[in-house]
Amino acid sequence: MKLSKTDLSILRWSILAICSSILVSAAILYVSSTYIGNSKKDLLSARNARNDARSRLAAAQEDSENMSIYSSEYGALVKRKIIGEEQRLDWIEGMEKLRQMNLVWDFRYRIAPQKVYAPKSPIASGNFDIHYSEMGLQFDLLHEAQLADFFAALPRHLQGWYQLEGCTLKRVETTGQNTATPSGAQLSAECAGGWITLKNRNAQS
Amino acid sequence: MKLSLLLFLSADHLHAQLMAGGKIAETREFIDTTRGHEEFTSFLKSVRCPAYLLTDLIEEDFRHELVPHLTGSKRSALLKRKFDQYYRNTPFRHARLLHRQKTGRRDDDILFSALTNPSLITTWVDILLAQQIPLVGIYSVPQISAPLVKNNASDHVLLVTWEKFSGLRQTYFSNRHLQISRLTPVHADLSFHDAVLQELARTYQYLKSLSLLPPNQILDVLILCHGDALAQLKEKLPVTADMRYSLSDISDVGRQLKLDYHFTDSDASQIFLHYLATHPPKSNYANPNHTHFHSLARLRTALYLASAVLLVVVSLWSANNMLQSREEANETAELRSQANIALSQAQQITSSFPNTYALAGDMKTGVTVIRKLNQLSPSPMEIMKPLSPSLDRYPQIQIDELSWQMSANEPVASNTLADVPAQVVILKGRMVDFANDYRAVLNYLESFERDLGKQGYQVSVLTKPFDASPSGSIGDQREGNSETLKFSVRISRRPENTGNPDTNKPPA
Repeated sequence: MKLSKTDLSILRWSILAICSSILVSAAILYVSSTYIGNSKKDLLSARNARNDARSRLAAAQEDSENMSIYSSEYGALVKRKIIGEEQRLDWIEGMEKLRQMNLVWDFRYRIAPQKVYAPKSPIASGNFDIHYSEMGLQFDLLHEAQLADFFAALPRHLQGWYQLEGCTLKRVETTGQNTATPSGAQLSAECAGGWITLKNRNAQS
Repeated sequence: MKLSLLLFLSADHLHAQLMAGGKIAETREFIDTTRGHEEFTSFLKSVRCPAYLLTDLIEEDFRHELVPHLTGSKRSALLKRKFDQYYRNTPFRHARLLHRQKTGRRDDDILFSALTNPSLITTWVDILLAQQIPLVGIYSVPQISAPLVKNNASDHVLLVTWEKFSGLRQTYFSNRHLQISRLTPVHADLSFHDAVLQELARTYQYLKSLSLLPPNQILDVLILCHGDALAQLKEKLPVTADMRYSLSDISDVGRQLKLDYHFTDSDASQIFLHYLATHPPKSNYANPNHTHFHSLARLRTALYLASAVLLVVVSLWSANNMLQSREEANETAELRSQANIALSQAQQITSSFPNTYALAGDMKTGVTVIRKLNQLSPSPMEIMKPLSPSLDRYPQIQIDELSWQMSANEPVASNTLADVPAQVVILKGRMVDFANDYRAVLNYLESFERDLGKQGYQVSVLTKPFDASPSGSIGDQREGNSETLKFSVRISRRPENTGNPDTNKPPA
């Protein structure tokens, strides 16, 4: 069928109707799709909010549980100055106290500069930096039990956490009835270890 | 209410009737004169409905021809060639496939027909087009007569009808397919039954001469007439072996068709107009130019329909989606409510926390780290105590040096904690009071190793008191002293895996 210009006058209302219908349909589609899109967005947002809230509730419950389990122990660590800044003066004073207790014949120590601790097996330290100040110990002992007594007394009388890595216990060389040392010690010991402090990165200085 | 304009055209007369809801709303008659044309033009000014033009003219020609079975453009080209060959001077031409042959090339049996005097029609059609009347088609009485004989059992039927303004129409059907049709004007001085008697004999001879009627074939003649003429006609119809008569009362036929029209004579025009209005044939004499405004009207209707369908479909689809969105909105509200409850509970829990040193998670981490470090740092007592019973059981072994450290590189024995470093102890000592019984020395040391092994240690001898292996060199040991019986042993052990990690235990 061929159309002429005069035919358009016959078809004008129907053309107008289909154009209007297309426009109105497009508007309806736009409005409805916008409404639907917003609904879906709201639903997604609500789902995320619900999941987030549940996570926060679970975290709060876990925190509550952790608080009841670890709070007192953590407080003790803080009080012992294991958590926080290292307290070298406390260590020196504590070592002198131990010296005065005469648990061993004699001992000497040297504290090296602080460094980051490299454990022999991996430790998940979370928000904590583990600092390590190496301290070597040399002992003159009458018998091996003195060494055990010393390291048993150390955590009781010193603030801090001394991490003992290892010891070498040797019999002192004797010639005849005389001991090799003028002090009369029978054993010498050399121990390696260091002071551990945990520093919370989130803690306010 | 559906409106339509039915037009019945004879040689010099046009009958028009406006139909509304299947009933005649208005009838008008127009003579083929200038005045008649003007009146028709005037009449059409108030009409805007589809028009059907039914012609009943003498100048209608029929030709049978077998043509090759073609489709598409080839068929169109063939038909055009045939039209140009037979009916070059008229635009009102038509080809109808009667049937396809079942043997040979299986050619198409086509009935070509045309209204051969276009001047009788063109005038009226031009008026219709000038008034932009949507002309549905141009038909002829023979074309729409087939329904009247479709229930007739005979294969050779001659339908005889009378149209008031045209004359006596005789249409011959073979196997219910239109073959030829003759129209004979009936003059006023000739009665209906006389005209029938006169023309029947002629038509029979005509059919025989064209060999359309097989030899010895009885022709069934179906005559449509008014009840008043029925009795007279029955009396006068000649009894012959060649023809068999069947007469139908036109009023009965009208009732069967539920035609709202009172028949006063044998004029069958209303019967044909009814068939045209209710079952118009798909093909007709009109070409696209004639039906241009009808095509426009259909296009316009299609556009209106498409507009409505589009709006309805889009509205329904959108409404359905909006309903689903409402369900989503309800779900959203429910989720937000759940979120608020959970947040409130979390707030309630956190508000009950004491103002402590750190976050609960950090507390757990700090404590866990120290517990773990505690595992890595055994006290001297923990190292020496397990060794003491063994050393007590072997008094001929004197320890000169004992050293220990932690090592993560030791092999992991079964049922031990793999993530805790092993305690590695090196014992250096002497074997005493063995005189020169070297075999006893070695046996004593081996026994000591086994004893340590029973304590859970992995034992390896680093230095033996003396080397009795084939690769070693051995000297005279009579002058030997304790120096010559020195040995060193390396022992290692990991904590047993009891299923309760030590990290859960607080440090001492």
